[in-house]
Amino acid sequence: MEINENPLNTQSPAPGFVNLFRVEDVFNLARANSLWPLTFGLACCAIELMAGGAARFDMDRFGFGVFRPSPRQADLMIVAGTISRKMVPCIKTLYDQMPSPKYVIALGGCATAGGPFKFPGQYGILEGIDKIIPVNVYVPGCPPRPEALIAGIMALQKQIKSGKTQGVMTPAVVHDSQDNHPAEYKNAISRVEFRQPKAGPPQAEKPPTPTPTAPTPENKG
Amino acid sequence: MNSKHKTRNSKHVFCHLNLVICHYFVICALSFVIKTMLSNPILQEALRIILYGTLVVLFISVNALFLVWMERRVSARIQLRRGPIHVGWQGLLQTAADAIKLLSKELVLPKDVDKFLYVLAPVLVFAPILSAFIVLPLGPHIIIRDLNVGFLFVFSLTNISFIGIFIAGWSSNNKYALLGSMRAVAQNISYEIPLLLSTMGVVIAAQSLKMSDLVSAQSKNWFIVTQPVAFLIFLCASLAEANRAPFDIPEAESELVAGFHTEYSGMRFALFFLGEYTAIFVSSAIAATLFLGGWRGPFMAGPFWLLLKIYGLVLVIMWIRWTFPRLRSDQLMNFAWKVLIPFAIVNVFVTALVITLQKYFA
Amino acid sequence: MPAVLEKNIKSWLLEVIKPQEFNEKNLKSSGILFEAVVAQNQIRDVAKEFLSQGYFLESLTAVDFAECFEVVYHFNHWDSTKRSCVKILVPKDLPAAPSISSIYKSANWFEREIFEFFGITFVDHPNLKRLLLPESSQIFPLLKSFKGEPAGGDVLQSLKLIEEDRQGFEITYPRSISRHKEDYYLNLGPQHPSTHGVLRVLLHLSGERVLDAEPVIGYSHRHHEKMMEIQTYLACWPNFGRLDYVGAMSYNMGYAILIEKAMGLEPPPRVEYIRVLTTELNRIASHLLWMGTFLLDLGAFTPFFYCFDDREKILDMLEMVTGERLTYDYFRFGGLDKDIPADMIPAVKKFIPEFKKRLRDYDKLITKNIIFKHRTRGIGVLTKETAIAYGVTGPSLRASGIPLDLRRQEPYSIYKELDFEIPTRQEGDVFARFSVRVREMEESLKIVAQVIDKMPAGKITLGKLPKNVPKGETYSAVEAARGSFGIYLVSDGSLNPYRMKLRTPSFSNLNALIDVLPGCLVSDVVAILGSIDIVLPEIDR
Repeated sequence: MEINENPLNTQSPAPGFVNLFRVEDVFNLARANSLWPLTFGLACCAIELMAGGAARFDMDRFGFGVFRPSPRQADLMIVAGTISRKMVPCIKTLYDQMPSPKYVIALGGCATAGGPFKFPGQYGILEGIDKIIPVNVYVPGCPPRPEALIAGIMALQKQIKSGKTQGVMTPAVVHDSQDNHPAEYKNAISRVEFRQPKAGPPQAEKPPTPTPTAPTPENKG
Repeated sequence: MNSKHKTRNSKHVFCHLNLVICHYFVICALSFVIKTMLSNPILQEALRIILYGTLVVLFISVNALFLVWMERRVSARIQLRRGPIHVGWQGLLQTAADAIKLLSKELVLPKDVDKFLYVLAPVLVFAPILSAFIVLPLGPHIIIRDLNVGFLFVFSLTNISFIGIFIAGWSSNNKYALLGSMRAVAQNISYEIPLLLSTMGVVIAAQSLKMSDLVSAQSKNWFIVTQPVAFLIFLCASLAEANRAPFDIPEAESELVAGFHTEYSGMRFALFFLGEYTAIFVSSAIAATLFLGGWRGPFMAGPFWLLLKIYGLVLVIMWIRWTFPRLRSDQLMNFAWKVLIPFAIVNVFVTALVITLQKYFA
Repeated sequence: MPAVLEKNIKSWLLEVIKPQEFNEKNLKSSGILFEAVVAQNQIRDVAKEFLSQGYFLESLTAVDFAECFEVVYHFNHWDSTKRSCVKILVPKDLPAAPSISSIYKSANWFEREIFEFFGITFVDHPNLKRLLLPESSQIFPLLKSFKGEPAGGDVLQSLKLIEEDRQGFEITYPRSISRHKEDYYLNLGPQHPSTHGVLRVLLHLSGERVLDAEPVIGYSHRHHEKMMEIQTYLACWPNFGRLDYVGAMSYNMGYAILIEKAMGLEPPPRVEYIRVLTTELNRIASHLLWMGTFLLDLGAFTPFFYCFDDREKILDMLEMVTGERLTYDYFRFGGLDKDIPADMIPAVKKFIPEFKKRLRDYDKLITKNIIFKHRTRGIGVLTKETAIAYGVTGPSLRASGIPLDLRRQEPYSIYKELDFEIPTRQEGDVFARFSVRVREMEESLKIVAQVIDKMPAGKITLGKLPKNVPKGETYSAVEAARGSFGIYLVSDGSLNPYRMKLRTPSFSNLNALIDVLPGCLVSDVVAILGSIDIVLPEIDR
């Protein structure tokens, strides 16, 4: 008894003559090749972003050079620079205004995890944009070179083409090596003591940490 | 097993035969309908409209794709860089990727917008520009409809697109959009006058408003030779009508976020974009027809020369965009009212005088 | 003449005011001529006298001691360096002081900053609100009793701010009253296509005309001053590179000169020449970036790419030396991090004629362009009086007719031996500021050419130095690309600075816009903002 499991006799994809794509694949290919970033620079990394769009590095070659000023028309938010807490509501509003599908690249150390401005007890910045919006690609550096940015965007393109564009968020408190080095906040000194005249020439002031060799000959350089 | 096989086979044969007979009847019916249609003049006309409409829309889509690519490559060349070169051969598929991406974007309807107007605005901006193709002479007798009011028909319809811009800014419920659309309306009203006045000189010289007459009147000299001032005024005014730099204050990126289309996303934004590039094409087409001799050429006159002239003018328009900074809105108005309009009026008078004297003494 | 004036203010202080403490200081080693501690009720008269003698308020800050606060006023003269320090003591149990914002307009923002960082209230201040931190913030960060926030506090506060924003937490600055119902408020920023960074300008508009403008800053506050109090002096170097990232070498220079002043160090001559070489190259790069973005604001897209192309050539040269493209920390105390490589001088020699030719191209395409002239001539005039009232420095001041350049007035490094001019113009409009900066690029190129000819050989460090700066107060200022960058250091002799106040030029330059913007159109606002040349992180620190 011949059991025909494939009564319509189709093959998917048909070899050679007709190649059938899913519509979603075509869309992903188009999205990857036509990323429109939002003009959004916060600090130093913004200059490298601009240099990336300028003549020497030219991001427009790959298709992601059309910077749109309005979030409604952009689909890529490159968070370039330190995120101060005052700025957070603006970033969230801009992110919400972007239509899906939207992607986020955290450019630089500050947008990744606070960067050089993260110290124990800091009061002004948000340590990484992934604490409030999902991030697709992290580009480390301080600031990262424009080539690094282009590599980051290409990594995003790969993500989009594969269809796996779920961003990543990190928890509010991340334990890292800074936990072992708490910041030493000093107390206020007395003004009276401070205003007392110095006891000798400045060079004679011994540093608190003892050095193995005598300080005086070395100071003369 | 053999019998089952035979039954299946015969079932198949019967199905196939059925299909073939149905197809035959359908084809017969269709051909009868088409024959009657083709003999009836009204239905003939309807078919023609559908055909031309489809061709125009197809041409515009491909043309807009090409023009956006051209803009990016031309700007890159002027700016010491390469522009899109990786997506497709020489980057030609870049705009296609942009268009498909825009198609697949989420269509956002912001909360407090006037829904009907918000959705209507992009259509109003884009659709009237298509009217230009109806009266564009492509060759010696190739024209969709040779209206006796010719290009006036185009300009009167393209004014509707500025109502569209105003509606876009108003319905967006956004201060930037409103500012942008106010500026656009003021700009359009101011530049409509020198646009039409500059063409009056050509009309007086050719003694007709029909597009085909205007092209035939250029058999000896193109009108750019006899009316150079009018050509320059027409070029400036059409740049302003299309909101192109240096007159792009309504969409001034550095000042107003994105001007009147701040709140538009996805395909609606694509329509604005499409409208802008089609407007450039249409302005160049009319300039080429009125001043550069239309489809005339040294040999093989026809659409090829027209397209060559149009794209040459488009290149000049793009070149101008990347060379000059932007004019402020009041300087823009000053330029229109205090410079272009007086020159255009003087041009009309001088042309009329010359033509009358020619007739008198010739 | 200057000596007479100096005697006047000093003698006036000693005779009329009779300060509680008075010390003569050495200008070279401490940066000031004298310091005087006066009573709180006398500070307004002192300020009035300084203003009448032509001084501007260079810096105003506070220091937190155990018994009291010290509010420190630095006045300087634009004619020659006559920096004087006046202090008042504010008790801790009643932290209030008189405001001098009615006398010096620049004190308005300085006092707001002191209020939000120390909690000192200024009596009769018109608008004592927080400046850099969010309005709903409750902390006074620069107090020594503030020991930081717990981990995770950043996300908590961010979520709270997002919630406040959702509820329509609207900030209004009703300094000018709406005259008719068609007036409206328009926000320019903080996300702004014109690439200045995160600046927000609240405009009160009538149609397209500006009635009033209020810059709102703090969106880039990165707590440099608090960080420096818990870091060692050496660890503070990266901070200076990131204050003004576009012209970071001048900031390196400022810090190096401060510490060398405080410790009495003299760097070897080769170090000085290399420092000047890299600083001037960086100044050209900074002006190029400014020019590109300024013209982008005006709508000319192409010069941006040409300017960045030239800038990349300079960045290549600086990268040869430092390894960095942008945020340099190349200088060290009394020396440099590493010596310049052998192929740098030939690269510089090759660059100079190429750049001269490019400058001529810019002149033809931009300066002589009629649309550019229409957009910039007569727009945004900054008068001399406004400039002095707000303490404006740098090319913006020189374009208003005051030839104040710290490289000439208070020479540091080897600038005394170099031959260069100070470009000045009288009109004070956008075009004047533009042409002053273009001429400054030419002058910097001249300096670079002289330096590479005269560069001596030698060592580039002073060897091992003590890690702490001796106890005392020092003020040192350098001419950065945007104006006079001053640092006021209070050192208690330990490994960390006790208080480091950064007096950044863009802070005062932006402050002056409050008086310049009313009356112009929206398009002009963008042009004027661009011409002032601000970098937000140095305003917000």
